[in-house]
Amino acid sequence: MLKVIILGDSGVGKTSLMQQYVSKKFSNQYKATIGADFLTKQDVRVDDRNVTMQLWDTAGQERFQSLGVAFYRGADCCVLVYDVNNAKSFEALDSWRDEFLIQASPRDPESFPFVVLGNKIDVEESKRAVSQKRALAFCQAKGNIPYFETSAKEAINVDQAFEVIARNALVQEESEEYSSDFSDPINIHLDNDRGGCCS
Amino acid sequence: MSYLTSPSASRSRSLAAIDTVAPAHSKGQLLFAKSKVYVHPTPSAKDNIPGFIALVRPPGASDREILLAWMPESLLRGEDVRAYSKVDLHPDDAPALEVFVSLPPISSISTFAFAIPLTRIYSVMLRPPSLGWWWGSIIIHTRNEAVVPALFFHDSESQSTIMQQKQRNKKFTPFAPDGDLFWGGDQFMKYLRRYTTVEKSTFEQRLYLINPEPDDLLSFSPPNARIEKISDRESLSRLVKDARWNVLERLARVTRFSRRTAQEVIGNSPPAVRAMLNVPEVRQLGDDFDSARVYLAKWAMTISEEAERSKSKVVWTDVVGDHIGSMVGDFEVLNVDDRVERRNEVSREEWKAFFDHSGRLCITVSEIKERIFHGGLAPDVRSEAWLFLLGLYPWDSSQLDRQVIMASKRDEYYRLKRQWWDDIERQKTDAVWKDQRNRIEKDVHRTDRNIPLFAGEDTPHPDPDSPFANIGTNVHLEQLKDMLITYNEYNKTLGYVQGMSDLLSPIYAVIQDDAVAFWAFVGFMSRMERNFLRDQSGMHRQLLALDNLVQLMEPKLYTHLEKADSTNFFFVFRMLLVWFKREFKWDDVLRLWEVLWTDYLTSQFVLFVALAILDKHKDVIMEHLEHFDEVLKYMNELSKTIDVEETLTRAEALFYRFQRTIDAIDRKNKEPLSSGGGGWSSPIVPSNSSGSSGFPDGPPDKSLPLKPDVTGRIVISDVLRELLSKDIIVVKDTIPMEEYES
Repeated sequence: MLKVIILGDSGVGKTSLMQQYVSKKFSNQYKATIGADFLTKQDVRVDDRNVTMQLWDTAGQERFQSLGVAFYRGADCCVLVYDVNNAKSFEALDSWRDEFLIQASPRDPESFPFVVLGNKIDVEESKRAVSQKRALAFCQAKGNIPYFETSAKEAINVDQAFEVIARNALVQEESEEYSSDFSDPINIHLDNDRGGCCS
Repeated sequence: MSYLTSPSASRSRSLAAIDTVAPAHSKGQLLFAKSKVYVHPTPSAKDNIPGFIALVRPPGASDREILLAWMPESLLRGEDVRAYSKVDLHPDDAPALEVFVSLPPISSISTFAFAIPLTRIYSVMLRPPSLGWWWGSIIIHTRNEAVVPALFFHDSESQSTIMQQKQRNKKFTPFAPDGDLFWGGDQFMKYLRRYTTVEKSTFEQRLYLINPEPDDLLSFSPPNARIEKISDRESLSRLVKDARWNVLERLARVTRFSRRTAQEVIGNSPPAVRAMLNVPEVRQLGDDFDSARVYLAKWAMTISEEAERSKSKVVWTDVVGDHIGSMVGDFEVLNVDDRVERRNEVSREEWKAFFDHSGRLCITVSEIKERIFHGGLAPDVRSEAWLFLLGLYPWDSSQLDRQVIMASKRDEYYRLKRQWWDDIERQKTDAVWKDQRNRIEKDVHRTDRNIPLFAGEDTPHPDPDSPFANIGTNVHLEQLKDMLITYNEYNKTLGYVQGMSDLLSPIYAVIQDDAVAFWAFVGFMSRMERNFLRDQSGMHRQLLALDNLVQLMEPKLYTHLEKADSTNFFFVFRMLLVWFKREFKWDDVLRLWEVLWTDYLTSQFVLFVALAILDKHKDVIMEHLEHFDEVLKYMNELSKTIDVEETLTRAEALFYRFQRTIDAIDRKNKEPLSSGGGGWSSPIVPSNSSGSSGFPDGPPDKSLPLKPDVTGRIVISDVLRELLSKDIIVVKDTIPMEEYES
């Protein structure tokens, strides 16, 4: 099971991207997310492996970030979303990234995989507030974060982006397994072991 | 046992056995195989042995001589492993693929392996997975009384079964032809039928006769004992009437506690279960389920609810209703307290009669609150009554007083609104203000748009620069936006926070007057403010109170939640933040809120509503949900399926039980400790709720609901004591917005 956390300012389209990827549908009227929820995508093909992805959607208002601790733990990839027509949502990416690293405290923050999505590219060009060049420069500076420009509404680039997200999450999960120090007691439930693991 | 579990030992034995047969004759054609079929030699899960169930045709054998075999994985050699896996994944192509494998051993005591020609099999008993039996299993009866172990289908581990289930789920036909959830045993039976006659016993539901003799058919399927086909949603009613006492007794067991029995009774009428799936809300539940456990949990709940509904619909109208009634007298918490009874809503006439000619209340405040608490309000009473409940009108005011209040409040709202409305300069330059306005607008445009009042988009947007300029708006959305912007100005320290639009929209929809609705909203916010604090301390304290409440009232559930890593109670965060706005249907939200606003029993009744929902679902949670994500998913997806009146009844009963518990402890303690006493009597709950770190990793020191002090008396935690108070908890000093958000 690959765990993916989707972060970004409220209204940039986190829920829409997730729904588009998992359910292939779009609505203008997803309610503002309160607390957290997740969707599961099964049968994600990564090279020759079949994996299951759990995509976590959280509230976008900064005030609710402190809830993150409970949801971020064990994440294998973090997706940072902004709205290409809203400069502020782009400028917030850095603090979303920092906040995630603080709360999830991954073993090796330097190598933890992020993916940046610039969403709502379906909106007319004149409204665009963040150029592709600027976004790419940011991603490069942060350690070559993969970058995609997407439209959840018109299903542009969504599958492609999540393919990379899945792949990077899988790499991360495997590296975590290797470096695991076995300090946690291993929970054995032969009877009711969790099904649906990436087998 | 250690010999058994040593793979190398058993392996060498079996290889020797197989190798004694000449290679040319040792191969049989593998017609069917299913992986992860286990033998459970002992009750301990660690002794379970995985293997394959298979159909193998020995060279030149007829259909009747095909072997039904079970092979432990440890016995399979390299090429056979591949062969079994291939056939497992491609069951339909198996005969054509012509896959040949070593003939399985006829029997092996040490490895439990066996192979029986079909002609020697008398019957197969199927037990599908159910609430009591996580794994489905089959029991094979042989004609020569040779005993073979029961085989358990670990479907969640078997690739081929998972594949099949997925295909069925995509079409939303997760049921096998006989109406049960599809499982590995069904698939096995399907392929078995290709090679032998399989007759379902009409006598014993789960028994299948293999190649039955005429005599067998007579004893197990007497032609007159046909079990009636039940095809509609009234199935239970007919079942009850037809089967009389036998069924009545089984039903009675259902209504007492046991969900397992419920499953058995309903499970025996599969078409009814199938019919249930046509109920839209059940369908919706199934649409995007995730883990099998969450799905199964929902399914179990649906069934027990259906049983409940059928019981109330059918049985009490039945002649023998009284009999059932007396047997279910002790059902769960509901009947333990006869004070608990919901009443009809307060009508316009009744409401008017509460007031005298000058418009003054002529019954006591407690009386009118009791009435609203137990019955709620008719829709045409709400726009007036809510203004009392939300503190805009004092309960002792006259009609004239209220007119004066209304006039001045109206003026004040428009004054507040004008302050920002007219400040064009600030609207253009103040980035913080603009940002907050955008946030409000975004949220307003995605709040309750399914309600006709807020649905329209036919009004051109007043601001061409708005992101919604192309979409259009309607006057009510604009009103919501202006009210929230005004509130953002009015309560500067708190400002607008997500969730507030959910709290405002029902109030506005009922009152439909922006100025009045604004002040009603302000009244509501005075008690809700603590939910939105920057440091989340108000939410934290409520979650802690619920933690203590569950520890005290539902200790078994609490232990389970601890195991499931869920005692942070974040899975009720949404419920508490916006008072179940997302969990109940629109009309039910209005009802719930007016009941909660009365503070009739406690100002914290909302926590008992949460407790009631947990109480209702606790069996399912404990049986099926093992991880935080599963608990969260299950709770989130209860949305729009919860019955408000039933929940309120349960919540009230739970409150009385809580109150009695606390009373009993207080009486036992006889002499209460003086309030604010010495060091040893200091509160149990650490005052971490005032910390500014927001939610730490769960409450740092998990407080206990009850704790003995040095004198041996039991001290009740502060958070629990608070639940008996009718005083609204308001935020005294809102933490200022030190820095602007995101």
